[in-house]
Amino acid sequence: MPDTTAAPAPGPAEAAVESPRWPRGIRCAVVVSVDFDAELPLLAADPTTAQRVKTLSVGRYGATRGVDRLLAEFQSQGVTTTWCVPGRNAERYPHLIRAIAGHGHEIAHHGHAHEDFSRLGLAGQLEVADRGSEAIADVTGERPRGFRIPAGEWAAGFPDALADRGFIWSSSLHGDDLPHFHPARTAGPRVGTGTGRGTARRLIEIPVHHELHDHPYFFFNLDPAFPVGQSRIASYREVLGNWTTEFDAYRRFGLCYTLRLQPEVTGTPGRIGIVRELLRHIRSHDDVWIATAGEVADWWRSRNTGNAPGHPAEVFDRCARELA
Amino acid sequence: MSTPAHPTALSTAAAPGARWPGGARSAVALAFDLDGPTGDAMLSGEIWRKPAYFSLGAYGPYRALPRILGLLRSAGVTATFFVPAWVIETWPDACLAIVEQGHEVAHHGYRHERYWDLTPAEQAEVISRSQEVFTRVLGAPAQGFRTPSGDWHPQTPRLLLEAGFTYSSSMRGDDRPYFHEIDGAPTSLVEIPGRWDLDDYASLAYTREPDFPKGQDRIASYELTLDNWIREFDGHHAEGLCMTTLFHPKVSGKPGRLLLLERFLAHMSAQPGVWFAACREIAAWWAQRPAPQAGGGPEATAHA
Repeated sequence: MPDTTAAPAPGPAEAAVESPRWPRGIRCAVVVSVDFDAELPLLAADPTTAQRVKTLSVGRYGATRGVDRLLAEFQSQGVTTTWCVPGRNAERYPHLIRAIAGHGHEIAHHGHAHEDFSRLGLAGQLEVADRGSEAIADVTGERPRGFRIPAGEWAAGFPDALADRGFIWSSSLHGDDLPHFHPARTAGPRVGTGTGRGTARRLIEIPVHHELHDHPYFFFNLDPAFPVGQSRIASYREVLGNWTTEFDAYRRFGLCYTLRLQPEVTGTPGRIGIVRELLRHIRSHDDVWIATAGEVADWWRSRNTGNAPGHPAEVFDRCARELA
Repeated sequence: MSTPAHPTALSTAAAPGARWPGGARSAVALAFDLDGPTGDAMLSGEIWRKPAYFSLGAYGPYRALPRILGLLRSAGVTATFFVPAWVIETWPDACLAIVEQGHEVAHHGYRHERYWDLTPAEQAEVISRSQEVFTRVLGAPAQGFRTPSGDWHPQTPRLLLEAGFTYSSSMRGDDRPYFHEIDGAPTSLVEIPGRWDLDDYASLAYTREPDFPKGQDRIASYELTLDNWIREFDGHHAEGLCMTTLFHPKVSGKPGRLLLLERFLAHMSAQPGVWFAACREIAAWWAQRPAPQAGGGPEATAHA
């Protein structure tokens, strides 16, 4: 592991760690999230896979074995996590969803059939939001409060519509390594009011990053090809090194580390070991807050009233409006 | 047509002390391309329908840049930031901080245009529009140029000279500076070539849509990437060359990768005789350095 003891003089990002960003005595937040995708992304990417049982079984492994293995690891280490579940997987695997919720983990929305949002207009995306919520509520008795986009990009107005439906957080974008607010697009008070269309109603984003997601490192299928260049499966040890290095840095800079796992990718006999080692490393620090995305979002809203003017979410909102 | 005035052969026998100021053995022009969300998707307008893709780029100027400046400050190293003028207009305070902390800001298009795709008139328009932003926000026009996205146009070096640029850091074909030629005649435009090996995109960048890399290759091991970079530096230093980097704050200013940069800087700083300089300093030295002694090295031909 890298030697991170020789800290440089504080830069602007580090100086901010001194502010009460996290609960008392806490240096950084860790959200362990799981996308329970199973075979749905394969079906969404290529409907002909519906007839290709071998290919589907690559994804289905997550439901058959991966969920249980991850749950057991989380339980043995006492870690509470957030699971992003497509509605259709709630319908197909209700016993797994109940087991996940029964262990105290958070259940969030991850599309209905793991749709590519770029292929849907706003109306279609909202239909997916509603179907997925209903399917999850049918199994758990509660509508999800969090959302992670399955694939592609959402349309203008989607975050507002999610907030109107009672969602409090999203974990879909990449513009920060701290939570932030989604700007409200409708008229009314915008930043810092805490009322009406202000921060009280605005969705909190818990950003995600590709390097903290297992899929880009490990997922493989021969035909249809993934990755399209059929590159080698990454070194387990080196990926653990990347994830550990990132955690050490997130802790040093006081950020929100969001790990993103998939049962069919790291819920395997070989890879569960790197999840175990990573979680043990994280838990060996007593100044780290391992929390669900919902807990982090609630905390952030209770302590913050808006984003800095140059925040990526604010710049995008302003530019996209000007060009609309 | 621009062809480089290269030395004809590599001579490791050249006394490195004669090549760099103060008897330094090698030169390192640490450089970052602060692209932000500019590039093809912004040029087509597509990015305004892609909030997640926009966020991936905007992370650079908003979140990664201050961390990188803090690292450079603590390491006492001067660097060059090649910045599209749109980024300077959008994050003026963040970009002004680069200059205020003693680093160089240089040209990288207005919205990361492909110079290869533009007519000479369009290129001149991008340059003059960008220089206006540099002058208005940062107080001075850019001296240096790094071509965004791919190749430049055959007429680009002529336009650069006309616009008063002193150097470019766009090419890949050498491991020391050289002078660009136009129509077979050497010019005063210095090239500080880089290498794909020292472009963090080649190892660490990843997006799903639009796909990068095209084959969706794996994100490389951080440890092994750092090992590659260190080996590149060690080789350049041993041979007394000039190394520059193409690091992108949105790629290697991520928290964990900043730790790699920190270790990379620590390794380089620990070697005696490394001249860390902004690209404009390297270019000025190359243009005015003492004439090499007879038989002292192949660079002599570059002055012809």
